[in-house]
Amino acid sequence: MLRAKWWKVLSFVLLLYTCTYGFLVKVPRLDDRMKESIRNFFFHVPMWFGMMILFFVSLYYAIKYLKSGDLVDDVYSFAYASMGLVFGVLGIITGAFWANYQWGSPWVGDPKQNGAAIALLIYFAYFVLRGSLLDIEKRARLSAVYNIFSFFMLFPTLWILPRLTESLHPGGQGSEGNPGVNGKDMSASMRTVFYPAVIGWTLLGVWISTIRIRIQLLQLKKEGLL
Amino acid sequence: MLNLLQTQVANNESIMVQNGKIYLVMTIVSIILVGLFIYVASIDKKLTQLENK
Repeated sequence: MLRAKWWKVLSFVLLLYTCTYGFLVKVPRLDDRMKESIRNFFFHVPMWFGMMILFFVSLYYAIKYLKSGDLVDDVYSFAYASMGLVFGVLGIITGAFWANYQWGSPWVGDPKQNGAAIALLIYFAYFVLRGSLLDIEKRARLSAVYNIFSFFMLFPTLWILPRLTESLHPGGQGSEGNPGVNGKDMSASMRTVFYPAVIGWTLLGVWISTIRIRIQLLQLKKEGLL
Repeated sequence: MLNLLQTQVANNESIMVQNGKIYLVMTIVSIILVGLFIYVASIDKKLTQLENK
């Protein structure tokens, strides 16, 4: 699976489709401020989708590690968490950029922005924790436990608290619903680009994660730890 | 004749300057995407060679 080719090609095809048809597809003109910038939807939002999916895969391998004690599971968990964080950072930067032109300032202290920043900081601590432990077994076990904690912190920071307060971002009070997958907020033509974009970006993230995993496994083998 | 040629060139270029030159942006983004994928694929290939050693 790590070395299979078809889904890497699929990722390329879907992203090429996103980066061409995403500029051409007819989008609704929502207001005089938004204009064509709603096309950011095909790039900014999939970063968060990709992040959540990769963090979930990382959580899966963290739990698997705690059950098996197999270092390979730790390598998987770490690689997916790193790539998830890359997506998260890209999501928050693109979000700030977009906010600058839509809301008038890159950081308006919106509950969605603050929640996302807290969630990312919690994941940053995962890497601090890993970096501070030299014993491989201990590092794997402690970071697996912390990984579970940080994943479940996504519930309040990203999925619950921002929905309970008013927000400029879609999906807060006043603009009810899920910020990303609420099909009602998207025109049919936008959906034909958005869902392929989510799959394409996520697969690219998985691909880069697998490369990281394979490097790490080679290294462990070389050191005789596997 | 020369005039005809010039109109032809103008027509060929016109696709790049339509719609506020959005096709130009699209082309540039696509080139970057292709370049990135070629790079990631080459890393993947090198890694496979290392693994097979």
